[in-house]
Parts: sequence; structure tokens; C-alpha cells
Amino acid sequence: MTALVNRPAVARGAALALLAAFGWILPYRLGSYDMHVVDIALVFAILAIGQGLVMGVAGQINLAQIAFFGVGAYAAAIATTHYGLGFWAAAAVAVPAAALTGLLVGLPALRVQSHYLGIVTLGLALAFLNWITNADITGGASGIPGIPVPPLGGLDLSSDYLYYYLELAAFAGALAFGLFVVRTPLGRRLRAMRDDPLAAGSVGARIPVLRITVFAFAGVYGGVAGVLYAGLIRFVAPETFSVSDMFLLLAMVIIGGRQSLWGCVVGALGLSIIREAFIDLATDAQLAYGTVVVLMVVFAPTGLAGIPTRLAHAVRRRRAPDATQGALEPFLPYEPGTDAPFDRDEPPGAGAPLLDLHGITKHFRGLVALRGVSLTVAPGEIRGVVGPNGSGKTTLFNVISGFYKADTGTAVLDGRAVTGARPYRLAHLGLARTFQNLRLFADLTVRENVLVALDRTRTRWSWRYLLWPVGVWRHDRGLARQADELLTRYGLAQFGAAAPRSLPYGIQRRVEIARAMAGSPRLLLLDEPAAGLNGEEKGQLAEIVRSIRAHGTTVVLIEHDMGLVMSLCQRVTVLASGAVIAEGTPAEVVADPAVIEAYLGGAAMAGAPVSKQAETGAEEAR
Amino acid sequence: MQVFLQTLVGGLSLGAVYALVALGFSLVYRTMGLVNFAHADVLMVGAYVASTFSMTSKLPFALAVAAAIAVTALIGVVIERVLRPLEGKDFDLMLIGTIGFGIVLESVATLVWGATGRAVPSPVRTAPLHLFGVSVPGYNLVILGVAALAMIVLSLFLERTKRGIAMQAVAMDYEAATSVGIHVGRSNAIAFAIGAGLAALAGALVGPLLYVSPSMGGSLGIKGFAAAILGGFGSVPGAVVGGLGVGLLDAFAAGHFQGYSDLVTFVVFAALVVIRPTGVFGEATVNRA
Repeated sequence: MTALVNRPAVARGAALALLAAFGWILPYRLGSYDMHVVDIALVFAILAIGQGLVMGVAGQINLAQIAFFGVGAYAAAIATTHYGLGFWAAAAVAVPAAALTGLLVGLPALRVQSHYLGIVTLGLALAFLNWITNADITGGASGIPGIPVPPLGGLDLSSDYLYYYLELAAFAGALAFGLFVVRTPLGRRLRAMRDDPLAAGSVGARIPVLRITVFAFAGVYGGVAGVLYAGLIRFVAPETFSVSDMFLLLAMVIIGGRQSLWGCVVGALGLSIIREAFIDLATDAQLAYGTVVVLMVVFAPTGLAGIPTRLAHAVRRRRAPDATQGALEPFLPYEPGTDAPFDRDEPPGAGAPLLDLHGITKHFRGLVALRGVSLTVAPGEIRGVVGPNGSGKTTLFNVISGFYKADTGTAVLDGRAVTGARPYRLAHLGLARTFQNLRLFADLTVRENVLVALDRTRTRWSWRYLLWPVGVWRHDRGLARQADELLTRYGLAQFGAAAPRSLPYGIQRRVEIARAMAGSPRLLLLDEPAAGLNGEEKGQLAEIVRSIRAHGTTVVLIEHDMGLVMSLCQRVTVLASGAVIAEGTPAEVVADPAVIEAYLGGAAMAGAPVSKQAETGAEEAR
Repeated sequence: MQVFLQTLVGGLSLGAVYALVALGFSLVYRTMGLVNFAHADVLMVGAYVASTFSMTSKLPFALAVAAAIAVTALIGVVIERVLRPLEGKDFDLMLIGTIGFGIVLESVATLVWGATGRAVPSPVRTAPLHLFGVSVPGYNLVILGVAALAMIVLSLFLERTKRGIAMQAVAMDYEAATSVGIHVGRSNAIAFAIGAGLAALAGALVGPLLYVSPSMGGSLGIKGFAAAILGGFGSVPGAVVGGLGVGLLDAFAAGHFQGYSDLVTFVVFAALVVIRPTGVFGEATVNRA
């Protein structure tokens, strides 16, 4: 058993050792021109890691990476030749300059995404190119020659062979740091944001800060690559930082596999070397890699790095077409919370309400989705929110959880005014939710989905990545333990490594509840948690919700299944056309003429299922 | 004053070209939700094809333009067909796919026509008109006229023909359009073809004003996109106003900042996007939870 567990780790260690040895002896086997080619390829590899982080990991379409590279190279060149700084002092200026550029270029990402972001960043890259080809300080179109050789002890770094080792060290550091980020809390948040920014916000990720941060990271990688380039070539000129080089970099990342930093490195090294090998056929090479990019996005969107996984999947499917990854285990109820023990039959606490909405109105252009909704939920309640389709239930949830800003009205959560608060802030204040149409992070495993939500640190906590990585690592170990506990509690231990999409619908629903509960919220909003579940699963759901409540978390749920509502909720709020038309115990609400009117709407046929379900629900409850 | 008016004339003619580019972008964007990054390169191919037919084959300019539109429409259809499997699944990948097509088109153009580029003589050789002391080259009037005509025809197509209305339906609701029997794939292909044709028209028209080269598309494309955003990425009038706006900004920036005009235009564009991403006429996109 131990051998089994250790085998992958040992194999990985051996592979790394082999790679390191290969990197070490490579210069002994290469001619001087080939050495130069490899040196340039390594610069592009560092640049590509930055591009992979911002585009593949964080999902931000950045077409200005080449400009970050340019800022690094030009800043180093100007600082050494114009201001007479030493090379390393210039580097200490150039990398922050590139990071700052990244930050500024990333600003539009706060407002726009995807296509818009791509074109804006491309425009800014062209603006940079326009500046360096025209300004005096950058030497215009002819560039800046005469950058000094970086001094390093007694080593003569004007030799491409020795410079290689400097680059190799920088590259290893850059890759290790990138991988560390991707596999720890910050990277998980970035990936969650890429897959679903709304859901990421709802589990406490501060999206704007994350976007800016990742652009700054891309800037740092661009800066480091730029400085190394300046020290290697000792000459900078605009044509190195053109749009076609940006697209070449993009091709490297896409062909290698944008979501995997190793893939980005392979793509960068491979394409750089191929480009040098076919330097006389540059246009044909361009045609070839353009074609490969098109083929890759259509047939292998995860790039070369994704091919082994895809093959493994295909093989597994052929071998055992019906093998699900394991079985759903029973839910292990929470030990009743010590701080807030609630008994089902006891009327909800008379103290301060946990959630207090007053006069919430929400318009969408001409449509009034909510009109003056007031809602008070006491701690320890299980509140049902019902109403016909289009009555504004989900809009109400979106207002409570901060996705929509109410036009008028106030919201108080746990004694704090939270009107207009952003989703991440509400999450930190103890609010969690699930979604009607399931919003799991598709490219994260089930375990990672839960891990993202378990991490309750603020984004500024991330300074530890630069100054105290051990702290990050320890924190991550702690989260891993909690994740295992949580998955076991929800009977999901077998599915930890599975992709959410590969699981049956009912299990996905349960994963979403587990994710919402990961942050130990005070208030849990469930949006149609029983939709698509079979009878047995509905029973399990009711058990889970009761246990959650007993644990001390207040629950508000939207549900169409009246049987479930009748059996679970102490109080029910009925919405129709965006207004509260009734509130009371399930029995009171069902008998309310206004409710019957809203559901039946005069047409007798529409009402039958409701009352029937209500009856069966009442029976089940007994 | 005279300088101002002269700049205005130059700005309007370039603006008309940007408006055509913007229309192409927004037609494809509206039907598919996709920004075609190869649009600028399609424009470049259009400029080359038109100039080749008019200079080498000695075809009349109008026929050369028609040929260019036909060739690029075909390219548009090919792009749409290849990327169709990604439709409605992953827009970011589609976007990268169109960038891939852009790379391919640029290298093909370099292989066919060489990397150096060519100057295209103006097809209108009449003496420039003199109005209020401003000289207006006849060709600029042709550009304005052709662009206006193209926009009117496009509006009529979208509003009055069955096919055009079907395309609008696809833009509004993909699923509902499918359920009433509209062939969404075909509709998208037509949008792509018309978009590419508009790019070719813009390229053919702008060829004699600028220098035709494999890399001519880059800044034209982004400015056309800026025009589409300014106009609010939807309506034909929006694209016209956006195009003329960017053309004027461009012309005056060139007058004031000389070599730095691109820098100014792109930074202003980025700032505008940050301040008002939905454009001047504001077409809001809604996030659904």
C-alpha cells in the first residue's frame, strides 16, 4: 500500500532529477549557435509561464504580455545606458516597472472580460509599440545598443554558455513559483474565477483584486524575461515586441496547453527552437503554427499537456464503459451545534433577526422583478420561499447574496447593514448559497471545489506568497484536512478526484451544498435544491437540511416541491409578481385565499398538483 | 479653421472605413457573440485582392471590389465552418481560433504578395473639389458614398428581408430561433460571410489611401473595433457614429501628436472602455446568476 502511495511521488522526483541533469549537461553537447537558440527559448519559456498564469489559470484574455516583456527589456536598457545604473540595479527597477505596467493594463479587466479585454490589451500593446518606435529615449526604430554585460562574481556572462546557467536558475525559480501558486489557495481561487466568476464571488473570492493581482504577476514574469533578454542580446529594438510576436507567444501557450504551466513551457521551448530551425522559412513556419493553433482549439483545446489525460479517459471509457468512480455514501449528520441548539418544534428565536430585508425593489429596465419585498428570518429557522415561476424568487436570492444591487430597500445580515455589499464580502460575513442551475467550477475537481470555499483568507493574505511561502504551504495542509472531513461528512469521499461534470446530477447537487457549507455560514440560501432529484435523494436532502439547521446554520430555501416545503419549513413566504402575498406556517399559507388565487389564477387545472403535493407532503411529514 | 476643416475631411473618410469595419465586427458579434480577431486580416486580404484585380488584371475598380468581396466572403464561411464545433461552448477558445486564422491569413498574404507591400493608385483621377478653401479629393467622396450605400443596403437587409430578420432572431435568442426552424449554423455562416465582405469593402476602399501590406490590418482592426464599442455594439447607426468618432479622433490625434497618434487613440479607447464599457449608446449585457 505504501509503495502504491509513494510510487507517483518517487516517479515525479526521478523525472525532475532527470530533467535537472539534462539541463545541467545540455551546454556540453551544444554548438555556440544552438546554445544561443536555447538561451532565447528559455526567455520565452519564462514569458509563457506568465501568459499561462494570466490566461490559462485565471482566464483573462491578455494580449499585452509582449509589452510587459518590452517594458522589462527597455527599462533595463534605458536604466543602464541612459542613467548609467549597474545591470542588477537596472533589473531591480525594470521588474517592478513591468509589474506596474501589468497592473495598469489589467485595469480594464475590472470592467470588461473576454473579447473586449483581448482587444483593449492588444490596443495597449500597440500603444507601447508606437511609443518605443517614436520616443527619443528608446532610440526610436533603431533601438538601444550597448547594454552592459551583467556582472556576476568572476563569471563572464557574455558567454552564452555561462549565461545559460543564469537563465536556467531564473527559469527554475519562475516555474517553481508559478506551480506553487497554481496548486495552493491563490491559484485555486484564480482557477475558480476562470470557471465561474459569480460562483467564485459567492464563496468569498474577491474577483477584482484577483484579476489585478494576476495581471501584476504576468507583469513580473514579463519583466524578468525582459531583463534576461536585455542581458543576453545586449540590444533592444521594437521589432522584438511586435504583435506577431505576441501571437507567437499565444500560439506557444495554446499549443502547449494554457491551463498547465508545464504545457506552456513545452510549447514555448518547442516553438522557439522550431522557429530558429526554420529561420529561412519564417513565413511558412508562421503559416504552420497558425494552422496548428486553429486545429488545437477545435480538436485539443487543452493543448499538448491535456493529451495524456484525454487519452487516459478514452482508454478507461473503452475498458469499462459503465464504471462510475465509486458510490455515494450516506451523509453523516453534524453534531448539533453547541452555540445555537435548535429544536424543530420550538418556535424560532425571538431575538434579533439574522436576515432583515426591508422594502427591496428591483427593476430590469421596464420589468419590475421585486416590488417592496420585506422579509425577516430569525436565527435557526428553515424558511421556505415559494411562488409561481417568474415571481421573483431567484431575483430575491440574487439581491440577498449581492449579485444584484437593489434599486431601493435595505438589507441587514446578523445585525450589520449590508445593503449593496459585494458577494465576496457577504460570504465573509457568513452567507452562502447554491444555484438553481448548478454552478460548480467545471475544471476543478470536487475536492478543489470544496477547498476553494474552505479558504476564508482575504486576498491581501497573499503577501505570504512572496515573503513566507512556508506559511502558505501549512495553511494549505490545514485546508486539505478540512476538505477530507467535509467530503466524508457529505458522503462524497469517493468522488474527491472526479470532475463535477462526470458525476450524476444528484451528486452534483450534493457537492454544491457541501461547497456552500464549507465556509461554515450563518445563513445558507438554497435555490431549488430538490430540482431534478429522485424521491430517495429528496429524503436525503431533507435530512441534510435539518442537520445543517441543527448545527446552527439558518436555511432559506426556494422550492417548487410543496411536499418538501411542508415537511421542512417552519415558515413559508409566498411571492407573486415580485411581491410578498403571504407569510406564515405551511398550513396557514396553503389555506390563504391570496395564495390559491396566485397559483390557480382562475384556471382550475393549474392548482391540482399543488394541493395534492401539499397533502402528500403533510403525510410524509407525519 | 482651414486646417481644422481639412482634418475633418480626412477624418470623415477614414471614419467611414472604420464604420464599415465596425459593422462587420458587430454583425458577427450580434449573431454569434463572437469577436472575430481575424477580421483585420480579412480586410487586408480584401485590399490585396481588390488591388491585384484592378492593377494587374486591369479590371474596373468596382468589379475588382466585387471580386474581393466574393473571395473574402468565402474565407468568412470557411472560418465559421471550422470553428462551428466550439459555438456556444467556449467563446474564449473561438476567439483564439480566430486569432489563429488571422496568423494564417497574414502568412498566406506574405507568401502570395510578398512582405513589402504596395502603393495603390487612386481609381478616381478627377481634380479635388474646393469647398470653403478646403480641398476634398474626389476619391474621399467616393468612399463616403459607397460606405453610406453599403450601410443602407445592410439595414434594409436586416430589417426587411426574411433572412435578415431570421439573423436578428438568432442574435436575440439562439434556442427560440432554433425551435421556430431557423438554421442557426447557416445564419451564422451568412453573418460571417457578410462581415468578411464588409471588411473586404473597407480594405478595398482604404487601399488607395494607405499602403497595402500584410500587416496593415492590425491598427485598422482595433480602431474599427473601438468604433463598434463606442457605437454600442449593436445598431447600424451606432457603428456609423462610432466609426466617424474614431476617424475624427484619429485625424486630430495625428495632427496634434504626430507619430504618437496611435498611442493616444489606443489609450483613449482603453480609458473609454474602463469608464463606459457599454459604449455611448449603451447596449447592456446582463449577467445571469
